[in-house]
Amino acid sequence: MKTKDELLKIFSSKLRAIFGSLNINFDDLQEIRLRINCPLIVSYRNREYFVTENAMLATDPARGFFISRNEIDETMEYISNYSLYAFEEEIRQGFITISGGHRIGIAGKIVVQDNHIKGMKHISFINIRLAHQIKGCADRVMPYLIDETNGGIFHTLIISPPKCGKTTLLRDIIRQISSGGPHMRGMNVGVVDERSEIGACYMGVPQNELGIRTDVLDCCPKAKGMMMLIRSMSPQVIAVDEIGSKEDLEAINHVINCGCKLIATVHGSSLEDVKNKPILGELLQNKVFERYIILNNIREIGHIEGIYDAAGNKII
Amino acid sequence: MQIAKTVGCILIILSSTLMGFYCSSELKSRIEDLKELRKIIMLLKGDIRYCNTPLPEAINAIAKRHDGNFKDFLVRVSKKLNERSGNTFSQIWKEAVENELHMTSLTKKDKYQMIKFGEHLGYLDKEMQLNTLDLYLVQLDEELRGLTSNVKEKTYLYNSLGIMAGIFISIVLA
Repeated sequence: MKTKDELLKIFSSKLRAIFGSLNINFDDLQEIRLRINCPLIVSYRNREYFVTENAMLATDPARGFFISRNEIDETMEYISNYSLYAFEEEIRQGFITISGGHRIGIAGKIVVQDNHIKGMKHISFINIRLAHQIKGCADRVMPYLIDETNGGIFHTLIISPPKCGKTTLLRDIIRQISSGGPHMRGMNVGVVDERSEIGACYMGVPQNELGIRTDVLDCCPKAKGMMMLIRSMSPQVIAVDEIGSKEDLEAINHVINCGCKLIATVHGSSLEDVKNKPILGELLQNKVFERYIILNNIREIGHIEGIYDAAGNKII
Repeated sequence: MQIAKTVGCILIILSSTLMGFYCSSELKSRIEDLKELRKIIMLLKGDIRYCNTPLPEAINAIAKRHDGNFKDFLVRVSKKLNERSGNTFSQIWKEAVENELHMTSLTKKDKYQMIKFGEHLGYLDKEMQLNTLDLYLVQLDEELRGLTSNVKEKTYLYNSLGIMAGIFISIVLA
């Protein structure tokens, strides 16, 4: 219900009426796609549907509600909180994260200046990817992340293709490490939430539960944020989403040499995939990470394909 | 008869004098209101420049700190923006200017300028916002300069005119 209420706020009045009467479980909704002069599409329980004007799911595109320029413009006004200027950097990257941690991908006409993307105008395509907080989804992996020799945790990398639940898993791992439990003591966790997807902070307050010992640097570039956290908050564990740049690599080396543990995620579908990446491959060769969790969505979203140790041997 | 005439003359002089004082106090209040508005715009500019704060959040924060004639106006804009009722920012701003500024002494021209200013807020990039805010601040400064440069003379003029007009009308009627 919270997901539905949060979500309805970002739509134009017409779309709000349609989604308001749509009789589906919003917790199972994965994606909503708005394309100008095209039918409204949703991805629901791993299947694609068209949404009709009288709020029904259909498989025939001709029955779908066609999105006009007005719908897109009004929706963008609400997504940006009447303040597109406040999302300049996000628009340059092609997405905005809204309250609740939902990611809004946007596409339109790119404004280029001196070979750099300055902004975007005539936004005509919107993809809303819904974030879901699933408490307990990390229960299965937690026993493999705890280092029983010292009661700490292992440096861990979650590898997963898009839409397979890596951020959801990372969020629950953070929550469990931070709050502790019967088998482990709680630890101070520092989260660098570059895209506000992990904590979904609203005015600095995480809307998702991240545990009682978690400090969040919201909207902060990962590499800079990791350094800042180490200097300012003395975390025992640092968590970041979607690593991959050269700056990230330098910051990761810094984190590891400071005695902090690192939990990170990366796009990929196997260990081989990540090994072939120019920057991350180096981390794997150096056996920086002690645990790799590989996810897929073959059976269901967030399905754990396997957990591997530093040498790449499968544990489960 | 003579007593009634005297009482009538006194009432006329008294009311026209009060009218004169009212006009001069309105002028002073307008200056105070414009100064207050200038302060609000400065705060908005600071929030946008340093924190990139979206308009609903920035206006809400100012509304909480502000306790003057513009409080109702700011609260209404912030509330309506958060409702997302299908109106654009400029529509919400205009509606609030028209309905929530009765307590102020702003003139029609001041309100028109405020509405025009609202038409350009939230649009395009940060640079555009800052330019819009700067332009409006310049307009307010000019208005204030014009008003404050001869406020003493105008106050004196309104007060004297009030008394003189009362005396003149009394003489004519008597």
